Formats: sequence, C-alpha cells, structure tokens
Amino acid sequence: MDITLGLELAAVSALAAILGSMLGLGGGVFLVPIFTLFFGIDPKIAVGASAVVVVTNSVVGSTVHLRNQFTNLRLAMLLQVTMAVGALAGALYGVTARPATVYVVFGLVLLYAAISMGIPRSNAVARVGPDPLDLGAQFDDSAAKSTTAYVPRKVPVGMGISVGAGVLSGMLGVGGGVVMVPVMNQLMGVPVKAAVGTSAFMVGITSVATASVFYANGKVDPAVVVPAVLGVFLGGQVGARLTKKLKAQRLSLLFAIVLLYLGVRMVLQGLGISVPWLGIA
Amino acid sequence: MTTPTPPTTPDLAQRQAGVASLHQRVITVLTWGWRIGAGLLVLGLALTLVRGEQLPDQALLPNAILADLLAGRAAGVVDLAIILLIATPVVATAVVALGFWQRHEKRYTAITLLVLLVLILSVVVSLR
Repeated sequence: MDITLGLELAAVSALAAILGSMLGLGGGVFLVPIFTLFFGIDPKIAVGASAVVVVTNSVVGSTVHLRNQFTNLRLAMLLQVTMAVGALAGALYGVTARPATVYVVFGLVLLYAAISMGIPRSNAVARVGPDPLDLGAQFDDSAAKSTTAYVPRKVPVGMGISVGAGVLSGMLGVGGGVVMVPVMNQLMGVPVKAAVGTSAFMVGITSVATASVFYANGKVDPAVVVPAVLGVFLGGQVGARLTKKLKAQRLSLLFAIVLLYLGVRMVLQGLGISVPWLGIA
Repeated sequence: MTTPTPPTTPDLAQRQAGVASLHQRVITVLTWGWRIGAGLLVLGLALTLVRGEQLPDQALLPNAILADLLAGRAAGVVDLAIILLIATPVVATAVVALGFWQRHEKRYTAITLLVLLVLILSVVVSLR
C-alpha cells in the first residue's frame, strides 16, 4: 500500500466524516464523490469502500442511540424488510452498472440532499394515536427535560419508500439515512431524535447487503477501505464533539453549497460534459 | 367494529422498559464487533507496514483468507477484520430476533427473521 495515498485517503475520509456527522448524513454521502472526483478511484471501488464504512459507522454510532432509548427496534425491523430487499436489488444492479450511471444517480442524490437541507425538520409534539402494530415508543429527552411519546403513522407508505431508499443505498453505498430520516420525521411523525437513532441502526443492516455483493464481486479494495474506515472513525469522533459546540444549522447554507457543487460535478462527469472551470476536463 | 384505542403513556413506558435489556444486548454485540474488527484492522495494517507487504487490490473470499492467515500474511488479517465488521449487524439482527422471541412477540420475531433471511440471501446470491 502506498503510505502517502493511504494517509491522504484517511485524511479526506476524516473530513467527510466530520461534515457528515455535523449534518447527520453519515460519511458515505461525501466519501464516494471525493474518492472518485479527486482521487480518480473507480466508482464501484468507492461504493464498495463506502458500504463498509457505513456499516462501521452504524456499528459505532448506534450504541449511543440505543443507550439513550432513541432507537425503535420494532420500527427499524419493519422498515428494514423492504429496505434490505431494495438494497440487495440495488447492489446487484450497481455492481454491474456503467460508471456513468453511478455518477449521474449519485449526483442527483447529492442535489436532493442539498435541497432537503433547506427543509426544516419537524419538532412538532409527537401524536400518540392508535397503535395496531405496537410500534409506539417513548424516550427521555434530556435536552427538553421531558418524556417524548409517539406512535409512527403512515407505516405502509414508509415501507414503500424504504424500498427506494434501499435501492439507492445498495447501488451507491450510502446508508439511506438521507432519505429515511426525513421520511420517518416528516411523513411518519417520528420525533427527530428517534428518527436519527432508528435510521443509524437501520443503515448498518442495509449496507450489509451492499457490502456483501460488492465484496463478493471483488469491489472491496483493502487499500482503500482500511484508511477510509480508520479516517471516518476518527473524523466521526471529532464531528460529534464539534456538533455539540457549533450550531450546525448556521453552517447549513455552506454545506448545501458543497453538496450542490459535488452533485453538479458528479452529474456532469456522468454525462461526459466538460466544464473546465468546475474542474471537469 | 371497534376503533383501536391509543396506548397510554404507562403502556409505552412499560413497553420501553421491556426492551431495555434487549437494547443492552445489542449494544454489547455492536461494541465487541467494533472492538475486535478495529483491533484486527489495526493489527493487519501494522503487520503490512512492518513487513513491507502489499495489500491486494481485492479483498479475499473466506477460504482464501484462511490460507492467508495460516501463512501469516497481513492481508488475511485485514480481510478478516473487514468481514467481521460487515458481519456485526447480522449478529445484532439475530440477537434482536432472539430478544423478540423471548418476549413472545411473534410478529416482530417473524419480521426480524425475515430481515435476517434477506441478509443471508444477499451473501448467498453474491457468492454464487
């Protein structure tokens, strides 16, 4: 392994994790664009590395949410049924897809992420309604100094959208939290902390399907994965501490611009359009 | 026809208290999965650097990993670490299924086993 390249990959992975952690998006959203656009790494190798990183991030990050009782295991498993099927289908397609397709779809997901940053998350008091599926839960919100109870609604719609989130996750190696957190929060009425905690656990399971398919097809390169995993772990720790100190919302415009830039570059790269001032020769 | 009644706060509190031990078991699995996986990853990386070995550009399949481990090659240790990290959520899912079964939650035991089946299917399909 080239030590210099390994250190560079670890450093940019740490940066991706800091940004991802502050935005609640995970590192995968930034990892693939950075690896492909700035390091010239094959998109499928980048997706394979990203999937392993997302699994690792979930394994480490979920423990905090589980300890705080934010994770709703019943809801996670119910949505996971359709999401995991979608991820398997997406991964089987993604591992054989043309690189241009991966670039364009990933670029569109980044553009969606940039736009969705402008949509405020719902802090409305969760409604406790009928609970035929026993999905209701509650947790102590230390920040609000109160107990928050909720019963997820529109579960069938959530399960339907999970298929799409799974397909994108499987194809692109991102966790799917970028889709599932807003869906759970704004559509299903799950409080944002519970949505983030449940999603953090779910994306690890979803990415197992992606990582397995890419691993078996020789698209997991240890020389890329090892620095990425270590860099993202260290970056995630820094990001979690920075998030407590900084008001991430105030930086959201800057982050949205970064996502927009990466999204446009990925789409143009996929379409083979040369824009020298954007760095695309 | 009766309309389902919303659960009361004590209902939800009781339900949450019931799954607290399950949460703890999942935390234990995730924590040890990460510790062992990360430990092996660092060990493999250190061996690679000390011995001046090159990591292959593809992770090895399980049978080849065993051969590498027996030959004392660093690449085998790194690949084993990657597989352990990927397998950790699968083990956690199995623990969740067991937890629901012990709590006599048949519906969620079946749902979690279905998730586990899809994960196992993804490994089987990929290896074919």
